[in-house]
Amino acid sequence: MSAFLETLQLGRTFGGLKAVDDVSIAIQQGELVGLIGPNGAGKTTLFNLISGFTAPTSGEVRLKGERIDGLTPHDIAQRGIGRTFQNLRIFPNISVFDNVTVGAIGHENIGLGSILPWQKAKSDRITQKSFEALQAVGLLEEADQLAANISYGKRKYLEIARALAMQPDLLILDEPAAGLNETETQHLASFISRLHQEGRTIILIEHDMRLVMSICQRVIVLASGRKICDGTPDMVQKDTGVLEAYLGVDE
Amino acid sequence: MNASDTSHHRWLWTGIILTGLFVLVPLLLSLAGRSYFYQIANTIMIFALLAASMHLVTGVAGLLQLGHAAFYGIGGYCAALLATHFKLSFVVTIPLAGMMAGLIAFLVAVPTMRLVSIYFAVATLGIGQMLHVITLNWVPVTKGPNGILLFGGMKVFDIDFSKPVPAYYLVAVIVAACIYVIHCLSHSYYGNALRALREDDQCADAMGINTPRLKLESFTVSGFFAGVAGALWAHTAGYISPADFNFNVSILILSMVVLGGLGSLPGSILGAIILIGLPEVLREFKAGDFRNIIIGIVLFGVILFQPRGLIGEVSALDFIRNQFGLGRKAKNDANKTDGKQMRVGWL
Amino acid sequence: MDYYLQQLVIGLSLGMVYALVAIGFTLIFGVLNVVNFAHGEVYTIGAFVGLLIFVSFAPPLVVVLLVVLAVGAMTGVGLERFAFKPFRRFNDEATLKSRAMREATLMSSLALSIVAREGIELFFGSQFQSLPLKHMLNSPIKIGPVTIVDGDLIIFGTSFLMLAGLQFVLKHTSVGLSIRAVSNNPLGARYVGVNTDRTIAWTFAVGSGMGAVAGILVGLYYGAIFPAMGFTPGIKAFVAMVMGGLSSIPGAVVCALIIGISEAMSSIFVSSVWQDLVAYAFLIITLIFFPRGIFGGARERV
Repeated sequence: MSAFLETLQLGRTFGGLKAVDDVSIAIQQGELVGLIGPNGAGKTTLFNLISGFTAPTSGEVRLKGERIDGLTPHDIAQRGIGRTFQNLRIFPNISVFDNVTVGAIGHENIGLGSILPWQKAKSDRITQKSFEALQAVGLLEEADQLAANISYGKRKYLEIARALAMQPDLLILDEPAAGLNETETQHLASFISRLHQEGRTIILIEHDMRLVMSICQRVIVLASGRKICDGTPDMVQKDTGVLEAYLGVDE
Repeated sequence: MNASDTSHHRWLWTGIILTGLFVLVPLLLSLAGRSYFYQIANTIMIFALLAASMHLVTGVAGLLQLGHAAFYGIGGYCAALLATHFKLSFVVTIPLAGMMAGLIAFLVAVPTMRLVSIYFAVATLGIGQMLHVITLNWVPVTKGPNGILLFGGMKVFDIDFSKPVPAYYLVAVIVAACIYVIHCLSHSYYGNALRALREDDQCADAMGINTPRLKLESFTVSGFFAGVAGALWAHTAGYISPADFNFNVSILILSMVVLGGLGSLPGSILGAIILIGLPEVLREFKAGDFRNIIIGIVLFGVILFQPRGLIGEVSALDFIRNQFGLGRKAKNDANKTDGKQMRVGWL
Repeated sequence: MDYYLQQLVIGLSLGMVYALVAIGFTLIFGVLNVVNFAHGEVYTIGAFVGLLIFVSFAPPLVVVLLVVLAVGAMTGVGLERFAFKPFRRFNDEATLKSRAMREATLMSSLALSIVAREGIELFFGSQFQSLPLKHMLNSPIKIGPVTIVDGDLIIFGTSFLMLAGLQFVLKHTSVGLSIRAVSNNPLGARYVGVNTDRTIAWTFAVGSGMGAVAGILVGLYYGAIFPAMGFTPGIKAFVAMVMGGLSSIPGAVVCALIIGISEAMSSIFVSSVWQDLVAYAFLIITLIFFPRGIFGGARERV
């Protein structure tokens, strides 16, 4: 079976720096994969390459067998990759509900014609999907608040809800636990595993090792732009290369 | 709150607005009994349409537009030229003028769409100025600074609409229809997509929103309605000249949008009413010399004390969505559809 | 050929005027990330103050220029106090250069510019005011085959001196250092003890002073001034700032010169009424090929 998402010898250089170097990974449908690595390992760049924010200098990205590298972010998003951002990018001046609708709007790909009466089904679907997404993260009560006015932790969930409203085949979470405390991180962990149990394919980029090790079936480790390990959490924890990479850089 | 309640409200407010526009205002105007007042009313409506069209592109989509008067001017000149050279009727010139302005807006937007924030603004400014210079100096076609006189009045299928009252109704119907379309665009989910664009266009792109297309669409649609407004101006005023469409007019329209509240459609309309109406009121009170200064002071005061505008976007959006039912209807629909299981409590 | 040279000189002096005005935009954009819409009115005020001084005292040109410089600087400080400072309620980076503040100050400076322009119009009338003939800078000078007027030289020379002065102020005085610090990183500057409020006021003073001098120079060159005179140079200077990359002073100056020269040169080929079109066409073409201005570089600040 061909992989759901795969990158083939993917590379990206900035100036002389190889931010991502010859990385090949394969994600199967229904997997929850953790992507870890020390600071500057190229995790976010890899992410941006997959979601179309950055164009690769070499290699390919394939989603369900089709090449998606070189497409615009909205094309890739419409093909089924939903993402969140490392440093929270919600739309602050519109309501929580309206934030979430944006994901659903992207999925429905609405245009000028959407105001025509016979297009009402689309907007009803958007309403419904947005409520479902808000419900999934437990933010229904805050639906009518301005996004700028809810707490930091809730904004994290809002961002996930917005990605869920895109009804993505693959969900990429970029450091969702950053800035959360212990209890919040635990909540998040069980939330992510629930999303996974519902059948979603998820890639999780995280700094928080415990979070990744506790919920992911498979962990990919990046260091200096290269993939240095790919296996079960146990394997990764015992891998000497990973240990060195972490100790070496953290020093 | 149930569905019938909502629709009741919807008709209530639609009724109030339509009664006001088609019954109360004409009644007041006929009591005042001066045809000049009708002209002011027409000007206010035309500028309400201009402000509404700029609201779509600047308030909702967040593209600072400093050359809106150009599209207004294209519409005006297009209508005037079609009417004087080809003797075309009002019914034809209005949509043609709109389409011409929309087309040019589209052509302008294609190369400038990838510009961001102030660069985009200054590009629109440059294009606005270019069109102004052209109308001023392309004398064989535009008659230069002398402007164009439109003869023959406004006729729709041989019915004459040139008299003040029919002209008022004609303008009111067209403006109301156009603003209705803008209302649908800016308060539906399409409007949400535009707002996402304004807030963070990269992020909107990652959500699957085709940002370049949306920018292009909103700019073109906005140009179209500005063109319609220009044609209405040409026909009701009976005379146009480049001075009607210069940079100050762009700024005046922008002031209306900001005064009313960026992103708020009722605010933009209110802004148009105030900034066109106030000078006329002042003129009545023999304060004509000070009127522009007073406009400046009013504008300054509003920005200082009411930075979100007279009717802020958030409250305008809440009000309109609840009363007119676009996008999501009532606030508490959520509780109704989801019953008990909604409380998940991850936080 | 001589005609070309002559137009080149005229273009250079025109460009210098734009440059003086553009520097005000650029400096202010640098420290606050906002566009000062009342900058054109500072130019007008400079011209009218110059007129008043000429009419009442008839002092030598240098004195007039210095007084106008001072008045322009004070106007700038006042403008900052009323149209910009009230919107800087909080002092974190996010608010200091936020979109909300940008929009608010755009409109507040616009509102004050309306008040200023209309005020001048109320006082002097909207017609042209003539400056006394004997002060006008239009005595012809023949340099080889080229005939220009002394105004061209005086404008060029004064502007050049002021640009050099500005460069000195920015590089070698504490005010200049703090302006550059705030413009680079307002929060950082504040942490190391720079008084940002005072620095911003100084920036307005410097930028507006130069704009006002440009106003009186042009007034003397053409011999006539009017309340709306600040509009066209204001727009051209704004364009120069954007083409130059928003906060680069050398960029703004070079682009202002390009605009001035191309306008003057264009009158060789087309009627002078189309001059303005050239500048704007230039702008659009530049933006299409350099979406962040010619000297925009990599720094994203908008």
